[in-house]
Amino acid sequence: MRNFHKTTRVTGAVAVLGISALLVTGCTRADTSGTGTGASAGAAEASPGITDDSLSLGISSPLSGPTAGPGSCSVAGLYTYLEAKNAAGGFEFGDGKTRTVKLTYLDDVYDPAKAVSNFRQLEGDGIFAYVGALGTPTNAAVMPVANEEKVPQVLLVTGATTFSKDQKTNPWTFGLLPTYFDEGAAFGKLLADAGKAVTVATLAQNDDYGKDYLAGFQSAIEGSDVKVVGSATYEPSDTTLDSQVTELAATKADTLLSAVSVTPLQVGVLTRAQDIGWLPRIFLPSNTSTPATVIEPGQGTAYPALYSTSLTKVPVSPAFADDEEVKAYNAAFEKYGSKITTTYTPHCAWSYAEGAILEQAFKGMTDPTRDSFMTALHSITGFHAPLLLDGITVDTTATDKPAIQGIQLVQYNGKGYAPASKY
Amino acid sequence: MQYFIQVVVDGVATGAIYGALALAIVLVNRATGLINFAQGAMAVMATFVAFALTRAGVPLIAAALAAFAFAFVLGALLERVVVRRFEGGDPDIAVVATIGLLVLLTGISAAFFGYEPHPFPSFFPLGTVNLFGVFLSFRSLGTIVILVVAMVALQVLFRSTKLGLAMRAVADNPRSSALSGLPVSRLLMIGWGLAAGLGALAGILVAPQLFISPGMLDFALVYALAAAILGGLDSPVGAVVAAAFIGVVENLAGAYIDVIGDDLKIAVPFAVMIVILIVRPQGLFGRKVVVRV
Repeated sequence: MRNFHKTTRVTGAVAVLGISALLVTGCTRADTSGTGTGASAGAAEASPGITDDSLSLGISSPLSGPTAGPGSCSVAGLYTYLEAKNAAGGFEFGDGKTRTVKLTYLDDVYDPAKAVSNFRQLEGDGIFAYVGALGTPTNAAVMPVANEEKVPQVLLVTGATTFSKDQKTNPWTFGLLPTYFDEGAAFGKLLADAGKAVTVATLAQNDDYGKDYLAGFQSAIEGSDVKVVGSATYEPSDTTLDSQVTELAATKADTLLSAVSVTPLQVGVLTRAQDIGWLPRIFLPSNTSTPATVIEPGQGTAYPALYSTSLTKVPVSPAFADDEEVKAYNAAFEKYGSKITTTYTPHCAWSYAEGAILEQAFKGMTDPTRDSFMTALHSITGFHAPLLLDGITVDTTATDKPAIQGIQLVQYNGKGYAPASKY
Repeated sequence: MQYFIQVVVDGVATGAIYGALALAIVLVNRATGLINFAQGAMAVMATFVAFALTRAGVPLIAAALAAFAFAFVLGALLERVVVRRFEGGDPDIAVVATIGLLVLLTGISAAFFGYEPHPFPSFFPLGTVNLFGVFLSFRSLGTIVILVVAMVALQVLFRSTKLGLAMRAVADNPRSSALSGLPVSRLLMIGWGLAAGLGALAGILVAPQLFISPGMLDFALVYALAAAILGGLDSPVGAVVAAAFIGVVENLAGAYIDVIGDDLKIAVPFAVMIVILIVRPQGLFGRKVVVRV
């Protein structure tokens, strides 16, 4: 009976841990809500986090755990842009003042509860705005809090439609990237345009991230000869997706839409499918398609074709080595961003472009208030942010779309990505 | 039928990941009567040693041996310096101390190597054998074989060697063991050292699949603890069988019961576990401990 007794003791210890964790989050909530309500009282006076010569921003992204690579880059790119500009004298604001912009970043391990408590901590520390946070589930958890407290939660590094499609209901929330819906649709369109019967298997994360890809894909293949013959889902906490891949391989589909956001799991999908003799054409989401971290370890060249989407020039690729924007980015990143991460994912380039969009918003800000900031942020049109590919521009005026629009479908060519034309 | 067998085989392969870590938990329990929550973090730290060495150009096998040695020393040291202070006292406190170690060691690994997941080389090539239409990857096959060898070795150690007998005696009753002349202190350190070495082996086996990062074994630890408890905390065979059971049940439920699907499948083995533990509180292979007064 001793074993059983021990088990209950262990369970007890775990329960106590859980309760203390709850208590801690509960306290944070009580601490900071007071600051929030007091702050947004007067419209004319300055909002929290802004003085005549400084402005403070906050971000919470996964800096540890399986999503740490993209998460660290979502901080590092932005930090690079801000610090480089600060060093060059600071940001010019629409009210005629010049300010340095400070960024405070916290780690949420891709955990929604932690993201909310980080947001409250940042708010308590007096940030002006919450910018560029990465993660669909984490930002979804922060959204109601940010809108209740009227703190800008903007230029989010996520492609979920939720954060941009209904800006009347959530006026303080705004996404940065073209949506996963658009990515899924771009891929669906490629297949539909092939003009022949194509069978597709889908593998998707069981949340808004995965559902958006599927919805976009479905909308594009409606009425075409493209048929979905199998679908599976997974949780981000799963240790392996082998069983899902086995299940999908049984359909012998020509094509796999692999809406997997976790790097090791996406690598596992690539190795597993070829291991069991299934070689479909594969679509990889933009955030798990980096050659060095996904395709090479997953031996992706075994497949007839790998597709993804792209927004930006790739600073680590020799193809862009002579580009002026890339040179400026690389020099600045070496100096600032490399303190946070040295592994490149596209999020580094995205969040760097995000810095430039923020700068545009600051230029249009006539009052030192959050309201003025939001108005300015939503008034940018036809802006070319550095590193964005030609034809992809910033337009923040639509009330149902994210800041960056346009997307390029690309195909892996053994070294990097080149524009994809047909299936 | 082929699909069914493939699902079962995949389940065993997944279970092997949990089983490797579960073995280390069982070993510590056998040697010291404790549950070590830091087992995963210790394994990850040792795997990082192998990672750093392979990066520096050392062959994987040599790196693995170095990691094993590092783990043995780390385990023995932690037992002597930290855990020793809580042994013989309230087991709850010792458990909380190991949770503290878990956080500390994870932090140390992260301080050196960062939190980003890195690819890790494997002993086995990518690729599969095709047995009557069922695919079994070399990596899974290799992991399972090594795991079974380790399990048998442990069983032999505890059942048929003097060292094993002495370790069991110390775990059971340290004071009487000391009185009968056993070097209790050294035996406890050896127990923890061996368990940590086994953990290093587990880490090196699963790192190619999970990618090495400080939190690599966090989720696996939950399954490993479940396997160890389900199998009976003192039985190596039980831990491995239970781990395979968890992997297979999870996969079968996901594949064949539509209501459960891929989203709820992780809950199934835990539900089954609760039922089994109600019927057999000592676990599938555990032995009831009778205390004579």
